[in-house]
Amino acid sequence: MSTPVVQVQDLCRNYRDVLALDHVSLSLEQDKIYGLLGRNVAGKTTLMSIMTAQGFASSGSVRVFGEAPYENEKVLSRICFIRESQKYPDDFKPMHAFRAAAIFYKNWDNELALRLAKDFQLPMKRRIKKLSRGQLSAVGVIIGLASRAELTFFDEPYLGLDAVARQLFYDRLLADYAEFPRTIVLSSHLIDEVANLLEHIIIIDQGRIIVDDDAENIRGQAVNVAGTATRVDAFTAGRTILHREQLGALQSVTLDGALSAAERREAHELGLEIGPVSLQQFVIRKTLDVGLSPDDLEQDAQGSDSKTRTGVAR
Amino acid sequence: MNRAVGVAKMQLINKWTFLGIPAVIIAGSFLLSAVIWALIPDSVGVKYSGAGQAVMWYFFGLGIQSLTLSFPFSQGLSVSRRNFFLGTVGLFTVLAAAISAFYVILGFVEQATNGWGLQGRMFAISWVADRFWFSQWFFYFVLMMFLFLLGFWAATVYKRWQATGVLVMSLSAAVLLVGAVALITLQGWWPAVGAWIITLTPLSIGALAFAFVLVLGFAAFTTLRRATP
Repeated sequence: MSTPVVQVQDLCRNYRDVLALDHVSLSLEQDKIYGLLGRNVAGKTTLMSIMTAQGFASSGSVRVFGEAPYENEKVLSRICFIRESQKYPDDFKPMHAFRAAAIFYKNWDNELALRLAKDFQLPMKRRIKKLSRGQLSAVGVIIGLASRAELTFFDEPYLGLDAVARQLFYDRLLADYAEFPRTIVLSSHLIDEVANLLEHIIIIDQGRIIVDDDAENIRGQAVNVAGTATRVDAFTAGRTILHREQLGALQSVTLDGALSAAERREAHELGLEIGPVSLQQFVIRKTLDVGLSPDDLEQDAQGSDSKTRTGVAR
Repeated sequence: MNRAVGVAKMQLINKWTFLGIPAVIIAGSFLLSAVIWALIPDSVGVKYSGAGQAVMWYFFGLGIQSLTLSFPFSQGLSVSRRNFFLGTVGLFTVLAAAISAFYVILGFVEQATNGWGLQGRMFAISWVADRFWFSQWFFYFVLMMFLFLLGFWAATVYKRWQATGVLVMSLSAAVLLVGAVALITLQGWWPAVGAWIITLTPLSIGALAFAFVLVLGFAAFTTLRRATP
């Protein structure tokens, strides 16, 4: 195995009394698409900022391409990280921003940038500060794609983009990735939409990495069991329950871990319905219910089931 | 390619900020002064205009702008802080050197043409203009660098510590200044200070300001090293 592109060890970052990153360790391998998933203040942007030497760690170490990235042009010239709230010079138009990016990225593909700008219907001659949120996102997405940096971060790239533009981004990303493989990190809280793109998933919550696994593994890691409450209870007794919701006599339970063939048969015989858990559901369950004791879950399911129902409508 | 040069190129992508606006300010302030000179009867003698310094104040703003607007963007393009500093300050150094030379030349023209035929004085300020050309150039150059770096550093301080930082910085500067005045007064040093001021020449003031410029540059770089976009 080649050396990882990024190695993060025991990284902490505190802002006054808030611990934004709590002993984070992870590594990113070459030529893979990573999903960095989590809620809005989970620490995604902080983590990416430190990996790209835009931000500073309180403790711990980051190595990119085997070296410390801070003030290291050899490493930095291979990274692109346009943040979600990226600022541009006041008088810049998209064409200026692209021209600037072309100066610093040796693999910059200007044709691709122009084609993408056309696809996204980006007004090249309007000042960036007058662009809509979606157009602003498009500028960042285009720089990220056309820079062809070996390590590219997309920070909530779809904000303000309509469904068509988002699909366009996902398609173009995959197409360009197929042609020019590189390491891509996609930070997102819209999970199901990007789920099919991702090869590896990192879930971060309250500054801690709670999942770091291949997408394939995660897809089989939880399962939904639904049926009459008593039968579901009997079947799931002794297992780790991620989530439970009840609607009258019916109950649906999300179980942690895969079912064996025998268990599947048993469930079938009990008349229980077994369904897959979407990545989004998995993340929600992992981040929302984590740390709750079974008693809490019980109360949650019984006491406020109407709220829970709307929250997890699928 | 050297990425510091890249930063200079990036700052020049929009030609207005570094080239267009200074040109407009110099041309505009000169033309306005010329109109005013023409309106004043020649009997008053030499007509001075302070408009030559207009562009220098723009450089203070430019120092602030070139940091606040371009630094976060350069970070997005993964430019190191060191190269951002070298590229930006380097570009300005070239610009200040060129404009200073321009001022010296215009000053000579002004004197040779009896103040553009209007007895005007804008570039050839009497105290400076009768010196050797290098002293004149150095004086303007250092003044421009000083104002630019002051703006640049203040903006960096703001970037790192927001309004609190700028407030603390200006308050400490004020305290130092008042402290110096108090010390001089209490010690009865004013006559000595006065005698010293009389001996100052554009060159010695320039040299003194140059030391300040170096301190400012060092402070700005040190502050920028830990600034986040």
